Amino acid sequence: MTIKVGDVFPEAVLTYIPYDAKNPDACGLPQQLKTHEAFKGKKVVLFAVPGAFTPTCSEAHMPEYVERIDELKSKGADIVACVASNDQFVMHAWGKSYNVKDNILMLSDANGELGSALGLVNDGTARRMGPIRLARFAVILDDLKVVYLGVESAPGVTVSGASAVLAKL
Amino acid sequence: MTIKIGDEFPQVQLKYVPYDAAAPNACKGPQLLDTKKDFAGKKVVIVGVPGAFSPTCSAQHLPAYVSKVDEIKAKGVDLIVCVSGNDFFVMDAWGKQQKVDGKIIMAGDANGDLGRATGLALDLSKVGLGPVRLTRFAAIVDNGKVSYLAVEPDSSEVAVSGAGDVLAAL
Repeated sequence: MTIKVGDVFPEAVLTYIPYDAKNPDACGLPQQLKTHEAFKGKKVVLFAVPGAFTPTCSEAHMPEYVERIDELKSKGADIVACVASNDQFVMHAWGKSYNVKDNILMLSDANGELGSALGLVNDGTARRMGPIRLARFAVILDDLKVVYLGVESAPGVTVSGASAVLAKL
Repeated sequence: MTIKIGDEFPQVQLKYVPYDAAAPNACKGPQLLDTKKDFAGKKVVIVGVPGAFSPTCSAQHLPAYVSKVDEIKAKGVDLIVCVSGNDFFVMDAWGKQQKVDGKIIMAGDANGDLGRATGLALDLSKVGLGPVRLTRFAAIVDNGKVSYLAVEPDSSEVAVSGAGDVLAAL
């Protein structure tokens, strides 16, 4: 079953490589992020993408968040996070390619734990993208409660884009 | 069962984004790489890695192949393929970062077909890297037949599957 507005965001363990401002090119050690522990008491904007490094000509999702990060934070988002089923090394490299620093947490759900818990996981094998792929969506969480959920039903970015989220913050 | 020297290399289809020297940053559609049809009559070096952009792969394994690509090709190799359980977009981005410039085909085995067919699949879900991964290995396939195979006993290290090992075996 898919999560809906009003639900408590599920507990899941994600991984990420922390940004090191002193040494941004270091091979950082992967860390775990437990959603309940990390998001408790905070306003969180989390957007999910089917794949890191999908072509920039068709990829409008991430750049808009990068561009509007200050607006998101000034409207009260404590954490802005991006998640995909790519692994933490890929997510970290993708974040670097956009110079996100620590403005956006680049999270990995390579085991599909969060996707399954949310009911927002797709099978990408027909496109040879592998069996575990997240849908494209965005959520706003307020102290772990889902206050906005925008799931894309077709290719493209509308309800899960930074402007859609900004309008709901 | 894991493939061994003398075996016919299994037929699977991988996916990759072709390199375009005239427009290296263009968004190209992915293509299939068929390990039977596209390897026929050719000498192919295949390098399997657990993950693009991971510390060992980026720091040690792929760079040596990139720097020795001319030596490898001078020894009669028609095709060098680097493959992982990542998808083809990730492999393409990694190839760009490592300045592969089309000299090595950066192929994705995101569905795990190659891993299953060769017995070289690796489940890395315990370390949060997902269930569909390849172990670290290097193989030489000569006209469809495995003539050299080196599988790392510890997939986080490069001990036997490096470019130097393959060069010595060519």
